[in-house]
Amino acid sequence: MTTEQTNTQIDVESFRLEARAWIEANLEPRTHGVLAGRVDSEAKSPEDIARARALQRRLYDGGFAGISYPVEYGGRGLSSLHERAFNEEALGYVTPDFGAAGGVTFGAIGRSLLAHCPPAFLQRHIPRILSGEELWCQFYSEPEAGSDLAGIRTRAVRDGERWIISGSKIWSSGAYLADWAMCLARTDWTVPKHRGLTWFALPTDAKGVTIRQIQQINGNAEFCEEFLDEVEVTDDDIIGEVNKGWAVTQTMLVYERGAGEMGAATVEPRSLAPDLVELARRVGRTADPAARQAIARAHINDYAQYHLGHRIADRLRASATPDPAVAAYGKLASGVLAPIRARLAMEVGGPAALAWPGGDEEAGRTALNYLNGRVTSIAAGTNEMQRNGIGERVLGLPREPSFDTNKPFNEVLNSARHFDSKVG
Amino acid sequence: MDTDITEDQRALLDVSSRFMEQSCPLTVVRDGERRDEAFIATYRRQAAELGWFSMLVPEALGGGNISGNGVLDAALIAYRRGALLQPGSFVGTNIVAHAVAAAGSPPLQQQVLTALIGGERSASWAVASAVSDGRLDGGVQASPAADSGLTLSGAKTAVQDVEASSWLLVTCRAAEGAAQVLVAADTPGVTVTPLESLDLSRRFAEVRFESVTVPAAAVLGSPGAIDRQLDQQLAIAATLTAAESVGAMDAELEMTVRYAKDRIAFGRPIGSFQAVKHLLADTSLAVEMSKAVVLAAARSLGSEDGYGTEAASIAKALVGESAVELAQNCFQVFGGIGYTWEHDQHFFLRRLTTDAGLYGDASWHREHLCQLAGL
Repeated sequence: MTTEQTNTQIDVESFRLEARAWIEANLEPRTHGVLAGRVDSEAKSPEDIARARALQRRLYDGGFAGISYPVEYGGRGLSSLHERAFNEEALGYVTPDFGAAGGVTFGAIGRSLLAHCPPAFLQRHIPRILSGEELWCQFYSEPEAGSDLAGIRTRAVRDGERWIISGSKIWSSGAYLADWAMCLARTDWTVPKHRGLTWFALPTDAKGVTIRQIQQINGNAEFCEEFLDEVEVTDDDIIGEVNKGWAVTQTMLVYERGAGEMGAATVEPRSLAPDLVELARRVGRTADPAARQAIARAHINDYAQYHLGHRIADRLRASATPDPAVAAYGKLASGVLAPIRARLAMEVGGPAALAWPGGDEEAGRTALNYLNGRVTSIAAGTNEMQRNGIGERVLGLPREPSFDTNKPFNEVLNSARHFDSKVG
Repeated sequence: MDTDITEDQRALLDVSSRFMEQSCPLTVVRDGERRDEAFIATYRRQAAELGWFSMLVPEALGGGNISGNGVLDAALIAYRRGALLQPGSFVGTNIVAHAVAAAGSPPLQQQVLTALIGGERSASWAVASAVSDGRLDGGVQASPAADSGLTLSGAKTAVQDVEASSWLLVTCRAAEGAAQVLVAADTPGVTVTPLESLDLSRRFAEVRFESVTVPAAAVLGSPGAIDRQLDQQLAIAATLTAAESVGAMDAELEMTVRYAKDRIAFGRPIGSFQAVKHLLADTSLAVEMSKAVVLAAARSLGSEDGYGTEAASIAKALVGESAVELAQNCFQVFGGIGYTWEHDQHFFLRRLTTDAGLYGDASWHREHLCQLAGL
């Protein structure tokens, strides 16, 4: 097709000009600047999502949704550099904001589907995802399986043409707003844990699905828990292959760790931690050496995280088979630095960050960010999991002795109840 | 750090590494007595043939670099130098060459640049003061002398490799503000006292100035109007020093990871224990972040994109702290063997801790960042 050829040939700078013209003509400028305030996990309302869907549709119709997605599924078929150029151009404009669900849908899930699903499946879902009609979430972690993801216990049993899924899931970002879920279930209990897993796509309004929002320590309810009670799906809903779900998981983890850019700025941060400078001004501490050191520390980390993200993205781009352990550097940086930054803000804020007049949202933000500070050190792979990944797969250090990788999963749980720390 | 570079840059780095491995391997670094005057002079001349001292001087003045960004080229060399804990006045000589090229009088440029670039002479930047008020011009007072010259009195400390240096770039305080002069090390009134130092791979000295008079031609820029030049000079010195640190960090981490794989305890390589593995993973992240900021600073400074001085302070502060942390962590992984003189780790510990304090420690650069931002 001629359009496809044109698409793959447009260079980044020409594309940037095209994007700039379209953005100016079609998007509204932001009324306030992009907040430097860090971890923002505010729950979205259905009205927010409806607005985001309409805006996403506008991008789709204009040819700027799924810039790096294949043309045959409604994308532009361009590179991640083209996508970055568009994002840079769109920084000062209102773009679709689906909250955490957006990153999950367009990043982790969309990319994983592309890598593992047959064309018919992709035809059904990808254009609808790119046009804002299908918002997705992950049914992934469970109350008893977080870091040990391969240890999930939700089961899917084949019943003729159908699969019947039962179990419970937790920590699904934005599931209460999503239309579809990508659900991990155990399909074979007689093999070691990584070898009996299968991914399924299921509609969130399917019979037997109950979704509840979880009240978080910051008062929000962005994360959800789900109860799956004999939910029916078919072979057409399988993502990847039966019992080979771990391969899909590996792909998803790479995208979920966001090539190291999670929580990092999208443009080189050159202003000295503007949120902290503003905070120091408000509490009259700009001349206080301790506050100045804290502000500079935050800025140094922001700058370093940005450049680390680029370094990692370049390394991943240069490799045909992106190593999830390389992406782990970005995730670990975010997991280590976000809590530090939240603490630095508390230091700068002093007593005013501990108690503030009712209704003063600005004054309360420091404390809220503090409560959110450990989100990236726990969610989507704890710091400890990243350290294992880096230690074992980048540095080549030997693994810990394992108690479960070679045992059939149905024996693993039983052995663990009589744990005697003997290996093999 | 040097994965994304041009063919020419790689060629320069590879030939530089071969030169260092042959002429000054770690066994020579460890043995200060083998590094006598003749050794230093030969090493310097051979290094100069590779272009080590020309990169911060414009072509019109006899210098030149290979990528168009002299700071980046020099930082890449510094990185390779750091990995082998190379001695010698690399940062100092380059900084002095840069300062003379940027602000020296034509006669001074003629007298000094060819000798520095060609490796006939070396130079040091006398900037640190034992009694510091956080200013670069502390410790030495400059008073007016005849014919617009200056007379210096006071002392600078931790001046690197000054015994081999022919010239000292002295940052001092005149009535108008900060001033810089280039002083021949053998000028009457200049006293060099060798110091004992934590770092054994380099030599440090205190330099006293007792009514040392220099002519106007040896004054760089106008006293009181050199703050920008000083910022730039310090930024380059900080970036190159951080680059040397990153090289040493990379080498020491590699050595430590190897040890963690080889050392057996409780029936397992100690690197299989999460207590050790996680420490090394964190250390490895610190190295990756350090590489990212040093490259960013070198690119920024050398391309004059308006953020170079800030980026350099960021790099120096982050790398300085990370490097000391790394040295401490690696020492911990080595355990008792790391406490023996024969083991190399203490040379890394000594070097990295020293580099963290030269040309502004982390706290100094954090405060500097605030000032650069107008806070």
